[in-house]
Amino acid sequence: MTDKAQLSAIVVYYEKYYYDDVEELFHAYKNGLDKTNLDYEIIYVIDGELPNVIDKLTGLSAAHPNIKIIKLGRWFGDATALEAGFDNATGDIIITLPSYQQVDANDIPKLIDGLKDKDMTIGWRYPRLDGFLNNIQQRFFNFLIKLFVGTHFHDLKCNVRAFKRDVLNHIYMYGDQDRFLPLWAWRYGYKVEEIKVRQFKKDFRQAFYPLRNYISRLLELISLFFLIKFTKKPIRFFGSSGLIVFSLGALLGIYLFIQRVFMGVPLADRPIVLVSILLLVFGVLSFSIGLIGELIIFTHAKDLKDYVIEKVIQYKNNKAS
Amino acid sequence: MDISIVIPFYNEEESIKPLYEAVVKAMSKLPYSYELVIVDDGSSDKTLDNAMELAQNDARVKIVKLKRNYGQTTGLHAGFKHAVGKYIVTMDGDLQNDPEDIGNMVAKLKEGYDIVLGWRYNRKDKLISRKLPSKIANWLVRTVTGIPVKDNGCAIRAYRAEIIKHFPMYSEMHRLLPVITALAGARFTQIKVKHHPRKFGSSKYGLSRIYKVILDLLALKTVFSSFSRPLFGFGFVALVFGLLFFISLAISLIQLVHFQYSTIVVTLGVTALLGILSLTLIFFGIISHLIYQSGNLKIENLYKFKYKNQLANSELINDR
Repeated sequence: MTDKAQLSAIVVYYEKYYYDDVEELFHAYKNGLDKTNLDYEIIYVIDGELPNVIDKLTGLSAAHPNIKIIKLGRWFGDATALEAGFDNATGDIIITLPSYQQVDANDIPKLIDGLKDKDMTIGWRYPRLDGFLNNIQQRFFNFLIKLFVGTHFHDLKCNVRAFKRDVLNHIYMYGDQDRFLPLWAWRYGYKVEEIKVRQFKKDFRQAFYPLRNYISRLLELISLFFLIKFTKKPIRFFGSSGLIVFSLGALLGIYLFIQRVFMGVPLADRPIVLVSILLLVFGVLSFSIGLIGELIIFTHAKDLKDYVIEKVIQYKNNKAS
Repeated sequence: MDISIVIPFYNEEESIKPLYEAVVKAMSKLPYSYELVIVDDGSSDKTLDNAMELAQNDARVKIVKLKRNYGQTTGLHAGFKHAVGKYIVTMDGDLQNDPEDIGNMVAKLKEGYDIVLGWRYNRKDKLISRKLPSKIANWLVRTVTGIPVKDNGCAIRAYRAEIIKHFPMYSEMHRLLPVITALAGARFTQIKVKHHPRKFGSSKYGLSRIYKVILDLLALKTVFSSFSRPLFGFGFVALVFGLLFFISLAISLIQLVHFQYSTIVVTLGVTALLGILSLTLIFFGIISHLIYQSGNLKIENLYKFKYKNQLANSELINDR
C-alpha cells in the first residue's frame, strides 16, 4: 500500500509492558477500524526487543498489506515510540491504540465521528469496571491536575485517542509526556473532547503500581505545572520565591545583629546564624536561576511558538461573491 | 503597502464596526495605502462574525483568527507576522484610542523615528483602579530603565516594521515593547493622543499587573545590561560573596587561635556556605555564556539596527 491512508492507527508495543495476544488484538482492532468506513493503516511501533511480536506481526502483514511495522533500536520510552509512529503515519486522522484492549474496539468509530467538530477526542472508559482502589487513585490524580493546571480530563490513562494531524505540528513531546498529550492540546487551544466508551472486560489493571511509578508521575505533574504556568516568565516564580526567602534570611540576620550589638548576645556559637545565611544563599540562588531562565527565554523566544493561528482571512475582491 | 494597522480584539463585538469606520474615515484623509489586520484573540462572542462581515466588503481587512484566547502580546505577535506594511500601527480594540492620531504618528516615523508612542495626557479612566497603578508603573519603568516613557500603557503606537519584527515577544512584553526597543537603541518619541472613555464592554486588566511589570523589567534590564559584563553580571556578585567568604574565613581562624574554648562550627559553616554560593554563581555565569552563545537572538544584532538607522537619518539630514 503506497497511497495515502485516511486514518492511521498507531499501536505501540513496549518491551517492558503488558500486551495482549497479538493476533487477537489485531482482529479486534481491525473489526473496529473497518466500521469507520475509512481507508486505514495500522502502524506497529516495537519499542525494544520483542522478537515474538515481530514474528507474529510479520505473519499478519503477509495477509494484510495495510500493516506497517517500525522497530526501534532499543527501548526509548513512550513518547519517542509514538513520535516514530507519527512520523510514519500518512493519514490525516491519527488514532493511538494501546497494546492491550483497554476499550471495546467497536467504539472506535465513535471517537472518529467526534472529530468532525473537535480536534481531538479521547476515550473515557465509562462505566468503570476497576476496583475501588483504582478509582480512588484516579480521582486523586485528577484532583492534583485540576489543582496544578486548571483543567482535567476524567481518564488520562486511557490511551485510545483520536486526533487530527494538525495537532502534532505544534506539540513537541519527550520522555513520558504522551500521557499529557490531551492537556497540551487543550493548552495550545485545540478543542479536546472526552467521549464515553465501553471499557473492555479484561482491561488489565493492577491495584497498586511500583512506588517509582507514583514518584515519576508526581514529578511529571510538577514539571507540567511549571511548563504551563511559567514557561515564559521564569523570573516571576524563581524571582519572587527567591526574594521572599532572601528577605526572611535578611530579617533574621538583622535581628541577630541587633542582639549581638545592643544586647551583647554572642553570635559565634549560635547555630541560628547558619539558618539565616542558608536562607540568604538560597534566595540568591533562586533569583539567579530565574534570571538564567529569562536569558534562555529571551534568546530562544523565536523558537518558542506557543500559540496556534487557526486561519487568516482576507477577501481579494471587494465582494466575496 | 505603507501602513498596517494591527488591532487585537477579545470579545469586543460592539466596538469592532465603529472602530473600523473610524479607521477608514481617518485614513481616507491620508495619502497612504493601508491594511487593517484584525486579530481575533479567541473571542467567544460575535467579534469574528462582525469582522468577517467587514472583510467581505473590504479587501483591506485581514483577519487573523487565533485558536483560543492567548492574551494581548500573543495577539499582537500574530498580527505582526501577517502585517505587510512598512509601518505598523497598533491600537486597542475598545474604541478608547482615536485613529485620527495615526496621521501624526506616521509623520513622526517619516521624520526618522523608529517608534512613536502615544501619550494619553487627558486620560478618561477611573483614578484609583486604572490611572494610579499606571502612574506607578510608568514611574517604575522610567526609574529602572532610564527611558523617559510618559505613558507605557498606551496602546496606540507606531513602529517601523523591520524593527518590531525582530523582537522577541512573550509573556506580557507588548507593554514594555517601546522600552525594550529603546534600550536596544531604537529612536523613540512620544506624542499626545486623544483618549475616549470606554463605551462598550469592560476593561480586561486589573491592579495585579504592577508586580508583573516590576519583575519583567528587572529581568529585561538584567538581560540587556549584563551581556557585556564578565560572566553576565554573575561574576561581580560572585566576587562580593567571595570577599565575604575570605572575611568569614579570617574570623574563623582568629576564633580558632584566640578563643579555643568556643566552637567554630558556626563560623566555619558560614564560611563554607559563602564559598559555595560564590562558586555556584561563577558556574551560573558560565552557563549563561553557553545559553547566550547557543541562542539565536543576539543583543548585538539588535544594536545593529541602531547604526543602520543612524546612517539613514544622517543621509536624511544631508538631503535637507
